[in-house]
Amino acid sequence: MTMAETHLHEIRSRHQMIRFFDGYAIERMEELDERRLKRPLVKTQLLEVLGGNEAHTDEGLRAIFGRRQVTLMPIETSLFLAVDDQTGQAGLLERLHPRIVALYSTMKSDDMQQWVRRLVMRSPELDYVWLSGLTFGVLWQLVTRLSRSHRFTRLVFTHESVFDIDQAASEPEEEEEETPQDSAEEEMADVIERRATSFRLVDRIGVIQQKLEALQKIYSPLYAISQLRFPSPVGRGGHDFYDNGRVTNKTESFRDHRSHLLFVVRIYERLLRSTEEQAWYSIQDSVGVPGQFRKIVGSPVVVRFREPLSRDVFDYWIGATFERKRNRFRLWGHPIRLGPTKVHVYGVDRHLWQPLFLELTANGCTAIIPNGTCGNTVHRLVTNIQRYLDPGAEAFVGDKPYKRMVEESAQGVPYDLGSE
Amino acid sequence: MGTESLRSSTSMALQYTPSLHCSRCLLTCVWWAQQAGIAMRDGVRPDAVLTRESDRKFAFAECKARSFGPTSSTAEQARSLLVVAGPRAAEVLGLASGQVADSLLAFVVPEAGRELLAPTLVSLGKELDEKRMSVGRFSVLSLVLTDTDVSIMTDELGSSFFGLPSGASPFMEREPDTDPRPLYFIPYDPDIGQSEEEKVFCKRVLFERMQSTVVAAVGHANPPMDVVFASQKILNSSMFGVYGQWENRDSARHMRQLCRHFMGEIMQAVNKEVPNTMLFEPGKGWKVTLGSPQQQDNVLDAMSHFSCDRLDLRTQPDHTLLDALEDDGPASGAG
Repeated sequence: MTMAETHLHEIRSRHQMIRFFDGYAIERMEELDERRLKRPLVKTQLLEVLGGNEAHTDEGLRAIFGRRQVTLMPIETSLFLAVDDQTGQAGLLERLHPRIVALYSTMKSDDMQQWVRRLVMRSPELDYVWLSGLTFGVLWQLVTRLSRSHRFTRLVFTHESVFDIDQAASEPEEEEEETPQDSAEEEMADVIERRATSFRLVDRIGVIQQKLEALQKIYSPLYAISQLRFPSPVGRGGHDFYDNGRVTNKTESFRDHRSHLLFVVRIYERLLRSTEEQAWYSIQDSVGVPGQFRKIVGSPVVVRFREPLSRDVFDYWIGATFERKRNRFRLWGHPIRLGPTKVHVYGVDRHLWQPLFLELTANGCTAIIPNGTCGNTVHRLVTNIQRYLDPGAEAFVGDKPYKRMVEESAQGVPYDLGSE
Repeated sequence: MGTESLRSSTSMALQYTPSLHCSRCLLTCVWWAQQAGIAMRDGVRPDAVLTRESDRKFAFAECKARSFGPTSSTAEQARSLLVVAGPRAAEVLGLASGQVADSLLAFVVPEAGRELLAPTLVSLGKELDEKRMSVGRFSVLSLVLTDTDVSIMTDELGSSFFGLPSGASPFMEREPDTDPRPLYFIPYDPDIGQSEEEKVFCKRVLFERMQSTVVAAVGHANPPMDVVFASQKILNSSMFGVYGQWENRDSARHMRQLCRHFMGEIMQAVNKEVPNTMLFEPGKGWKVTLGSPQQQDNVLDAMSHFSCDRLDLRTQPDHTLLDALEDDGPASGAG
């Protein structure tokens, strides 16, 4: 693990942390200018913490990480030094919102991804922050409004029709269940025929703004944005947000990096709340009618595919998801066949271990999430559908388009660049 | 009861009513009707009550697989529902007068039964009217299946009451050779008359839901610890809390028997793979011991591989000694 261990454990306050990472970021940018990066860039991993009331206190947070052999050593309120009991310091962990924490680290990118993946996969109380292509679509609109049009940005589009292949793929290893490597299976690409889109686009914001919408209409994988750079308003470079909540600081300012994290986290936290408010199903007393009535409240999450799946793809998707312990959607259940391309699954989100009821067809998916099931389940589902099944899929919670929910979640969130 | 009806934001909210609560009023009506030589049934309850709270509209909805005539036994129930949906609706529902601004009895039948049912209801209404019994208005709604969708067909009154366009309103897409049923909120209700085939399907769904409840709880646990399941908790989790509202003691007991049957089977499957992990403790429920993360993984594997498909869904579970070891009261008090 290569990181500035001697510095991190000397940090005594949030202010010192920001100063430390600010200095670190300036050094790395100078090295990047000279094309001689000596140490890894500062990276952040945003994580959602579940676990009810326990997760809302510092003690609870320490207990949740402690169960996964990570000791959180308090620095000040909601800020900790995170130490892996086996491998040593992992970084600094800060609670940015009641349900979202950020791990700041200077580990190498691969090491950090591996460390985080191991942590998340083994804990039903931790999950990635899932930014779907639809969410990125709204964030991209924000970038165009908040940044000057001559600034450069970077978008990455990733779509891989893993269920549309000419031969059965092997069961994914635990390591690649959720976050496949961009470079994985390159040698196989010429052998297994399936649609796979993964490319990055770097250009001026104004140029992309002019072309992207038209291009998306022609070629739907361009809806599957998996990375987006927020250009820094205070200097060169920007902050690269990934679909699993990883964020790389490619600027000279950690303060600016953290402000962008807070900006996106505020939006995401609102989105989680509104998803749960609308989608949670439960039986409630009917307040308006003070009789002995109960009513069912909640809205289904509906995903509609732009193009229907072929029967082969549908069958392979169902088989690869529910006949394998490890599957990309991290779902468990016994499908009940109701037709050639229709199944019902009264199953479980295998990551958060929460019930989830699904109707899956060639045209889309309907999900019922019982009261208490985390909204992250919905965002992971939408992200994975765009990534692996239909990049242009549309999603709704009840009658409300998912995209509009993201837009509403972003309304009024301050783009506050001086926050600490 | 399924999801599709709620997929779009219907203008009326569905109120699930295990029973109607001012039965004294209905009993009086029934007594009166019986004195007048009219066959009516007490203790009726519609399948659901739809309400729009903003203007206090109530629709008493009753679904039937086929139409019926004025001399059939179903007509007795229909007479009661016509009275329930009438001017005394507020009283029957246990509400203050004025809290029901408008009410309606809505029968839902397959399209083939629509034209036959309306004259029956007219005849029953006239019969009650002649005996000076106030009845409510009624609407016959029908379900129409085409190759591409499922629609609800409304008559003129239903159209204006529910704010739906007159004629067919599609609410569900349909695929060829595909069962159009939606996901179920309440998978199984022993009080509802169903074909044997339908009962088997609904029990399967109930068992799948119980399995997902158990698997989720074990997966979410942090070993070392014990996870304890009581039948009430399992049934409520599997039915969005509706089991707790069940007032029919026989039905509640039947549901607990099904739960015990399922838990007995899954316990056997778990103990076969991970011996001495799961046991039934009288008065508490089923205890799963998770001594370590490894044991938790093994238990989850055993539970996940267990398939409800293997269970005998046609045979009624036997009344066992375990029945006596749990509270045998109504659903809300069951252990």
